[in-house]
Amino acid sequence: MTNSNMDAKARAAAILGGMKKAGIDLIASLPDINCLDLIGALERDGEIIHVPLCREEEGVGICAGARLVGKKPALLMQNAGLLNSCNGIVTTGIQLELPLLLVVYYAGDIGDRGFARVGTATMPVLDALGIRHYLLRDVEAIDWTFKNAWVLAEDSSRPVAVLLTKDVLGTRA
Amino acid sequence: MGRPMKRHECLKEIAGTVGDALVVVCVGGTSSEWNAYRPSDGNLRCWTLGLTSSVALGMALGLPHRQVIALDGDGSLLMNLCGLPTIMRKKPKNLIHVVFDNGVYESSGGTKTATAEGVDFVAVARGVGIKNAFGADTVEEFKKLFADALARREHTFICARVEPGRGEVPPWPWPDVENKYRFTRHIEQTEGVSILQARIPGSWKKS
Repeated sequence: MTNSNMDAKARAAAILGGMKKAGIDLIASLPDINCLDLIGALERDGEIIHVPLCREEEGVGICAGARLVGKKPALLMQNAGLLNSCNGIVTTGIQLELPLLLVVYYAGDIGDRGFARVGTATMPVLDALGIRHYLLRDVEAIDWTFKNAWVLAEDSSRPVAVLLTKDVLGTRA
Repeated sequence: MGRPMKRHECLKEIAGTVGDALVVVCVGGTSSEWNAYRPSDGNLRCWTLGLTSSVALGMALGLPHRQVIALDGDGSLLMNLCGLPTIMRKKPKNLIHVVFDNGVYESSGGTKTATAEGVDFVAVARGVGIKNAFGADTVEEFKKLFADALARREHTFICARVEPGRGEVPPWPWPDVENKYRFTRHIEQTEGVSILQARIPGSWKKS
């Protein structure tokens, strides 16, 4: 791993910057404590449309509607929220063959205390839905991963997931 | 509670008034009725129970100069009540959210919804901070509320309390993916933007 010495705020800025370089222009979000700097950066950003959610599945609908009129949307959530969103992902995102970027905080990752069960369910659920997923640990891989995840989402006309870890977010104790 | 009006009567009354509005319609009788009265590639059918208003919000935020209308149902709204505060926070001036409350899950066989036991969507909407939240019990009331909403140019929520039952109309015509392509091409043509591109072969640049 080649993570730099950037602090969590700088990493959050780099992650948001990576999404913007990939063309993402609307983000619907529901917070995890590990994503607070990222959501803070998003709230301060004057270019991206930010939609704070009450429940993650509504974000699937918002992202779908935005995509249908030409936006490049992302849904930022914890993996528990991914589980909350499954019906919308299947019966809107996949059913309408829409490119959506799912940016999922990967709670219950290796080395975590807590959330092991939701961590255990995350990748099998994504696999069962046929959603390609990429684990982001290195700051150096941020731009490349978001850029290519969106290319894949568009090219496959399907949602694609990028899993954010504490390593890339700089929140691992 | 009496429900003297029918959904299809309401839809028929407003069909000629919406211009080039983008309309998201929840799956079931509403989608077939709406498309029969206002056939357009600017109609999108939402299959996910609950997400009609969320899809419409995404469109309204993505195209803030374009009128967007959500034609929702009570079972759908109950599934995603938390979508109301989300819409309130964004206050999209170009979104009209209509809910046809017939008190039953019509597409699922007619079992009662919670609104049949007294849930008041207008009170819920006002309670989450939606200023322009109104209810209609007659076609004339509904027609006026909808016309006012079009003219107001602020986010408006209208609950039309209707009796169960479908209009005598043909079924919704398009498979879901065709609906998506027709809708998106309609956006491209009417907005002068490019959203969907064909894949270019790798050999293209060499020739």
